Amino acid sequence: MTERRLLVDIHRRLPSFTLDLQLEVGEEVLVLFGPSGSGKSMTLESIAGLVTPDRGEIVLDGRVLFRRGPGNAQIDMPARRRGVGYVFQSYALFPHLTVLGNVRYPLRGDPRARERALTLIDQMGMTQLVDRLPHQLSGGQQQRVAIARALARDPEVLLLDEPFSALDPGLRERLRTDLRALQLERRLIVICVTHNVEDAFALGDRLAVLRDGELEQVGTVGEVFHRPSSMSAAEVLGIRNIFHARVSSATADCVVLDWEGLRLHAPAQSCSPGEPVPVYVAPEDVKLLYPDRPVLGSLAANQLSARVMSIQNRHDIQIIRLLLDNGRELEARGASYFYRELDLHPGAPVLITLRQEGLRILREEDSG
Amino acid sequence: MGWQAFRISMEVTAVATVLVVIVGTAAGLLLARVRFPGIQLVEALFMLPLVLPPSVVGYYLLRFLGTGGPVEGLFGVNLVLTWGAAVLASAVVALPLMVQAARTAIRGVDPVLENAARTLGSSEAAVFFRVTLPLARRMLIAGAVLSAARALGEFGATLMVAGNIPGRTQTLPLFVYDAVYNHQYGTVNLVVGLLTGLGLVSFIVIGRLDPAHR
Repeated sequence: MTERRLLVDIHRRLPSFTLDLQLEVGEEVLVLFGPSGSGKSMTLESIAGLVTPDRGEIVLDGRVLFRRGPGNAQIDMPARRRGVGYVFQSYALFPHLTVLGNVRYPLRGDPRARERALTLIDQMGMTQLVDRLPHQLSGGQQQRVAIARALARDPEVLLLDEPFSALDPGLRERLRTDLRALQLERRLIVICVTHNVEDAFALGDRLAVLRDGELEQVGTVGEVFHRPSSMSAAEVLGIRNIFHARVSSATADCVVLDWEGLRLHAPAQSCSPGEPVPVYVAPEDVKLLYPDRPVLGSLAANQLSARVMSIQNRHDIQIIRLLLDNGRELEARGASYFYRELDLHPGAPVLITLRQEGLRILREEDSG
Repeated sequence: MGWQAFRISMEVTAVATVLVVIVGTAAGLLLARVRFPGIQLVEALFMLPLVLPPSVVGYYLLRFLGTGGPVEGLFGVNLVLTWGAAVLASAVVALPLMVQAARTAIRGVDPVLENAARTLGSSEAAVFFRVTLPLARRMLIAGAVLSAARALGEFGATLMVAGNIPGRTQTLPLFVYDAVYNHQYGTVNLVVGLLTGLGLVSFIVIGRLDPAHR
């Protein structure tokens, strides 16, 4: 069997923003990663046929889904004929239909619709819930129904827009694994949009970093995270806040990490003592402390001294780059008013803390 | 004689309501989902019968349906003083209410759901009938009930364009007018009570269709 391929080359200009992107995707999970407003969703919508690019070409296995440009006859296949499954961020389940009604929706006219829908629902482990309405389901259950529905017509391509954003961490992990299995089993071309570093790491074979409508970098997950090709890609990834530490001890309630001399407490996660691990802390989980105020709860554990390197104000957010005692840098982000009374300026010594729950060991999924 | 007017009113209202629901839903869909230049003007034109004096609406209809009007030009029939004219008069004054209801109802349906249906293989017609319409159903029914009530109560434009011919174009509101004129207060009280009751019932039905009421 030849491998399926999706070629995307699209250009779309809006008053405030231009999308300009070329991608080639095979039977894999490609993570489209970038901040909000970078054009991720518009890319998915263009592939699905919900949005029309100004020019370019979208070709799936030699079948032209879209083509527009000088010297070419224009082709714009309607969404309904593209054979592209789409899982929307809000799941977009039809509220007036049951689980079964939703999954068999795309199978109208198929004499075995009911049977096929029930098989899919069963594969998703939702058999007991076939007669429920969407509002009677949890977020994770809704997502499963949305995936089952998108797969009902056996698409070659599955697009997912922020599929895990509304789910809690434990559930995210399980659904990531399930999605992986589905991709392999059905030989799907999967494009998954996210702005979550952990999802990107765990889910993607390859990572495409998007910023302001353009691709900054495409590569395997490890490659992009460890060797971002540009400062800009690194910024998008929040890569400054990925560091390499060694596990000192791991118990049921806590992992202690050694980051080049700094001792950090992370929440319990799977790892073994002595193991070197990449660790990510979101810039929002790096907090500056007021020396005269008490430090509470999960902020108490990882207090470190640091020096301010630079301060940037973006809208109402302050981005503060910090130099730690071990010579490494971290980025902190917070609402501008958080630190108004701290008198921050480059060179100022500060006390910071890394929120314990915010320290995540990054795991690359075994794609084999 | 009152029964004749009752029958004519029911028939006129039924046909007018069917027309209004179809045209009004289509117009509501257009106004809610399609953006085009001049949309506000189109919307205003649909709403106009709500504020124009009945005599003005009646005059427009006379010009439209009568001698030398476009209907006569195209179909060779003069509808003035016919049952058909009574239907059109009722429909025109009820249409704004249906357009308004349909536009609001359809705007309340998340366009993402319609997009989802498209990616799941639905044609535009299937999107409308399988997703948009079922989700907008309650408000559309409420709009239809309100339109029917308004169509039933139509007086001024009907009088001008369909006349007040007992047994042919005389509807209940016109019958009341005549009966009061002739001091038949017994019959008047009966018909007035009936029309008031129907009005009350329609608003109770509309209230029950409101999702907040469930």
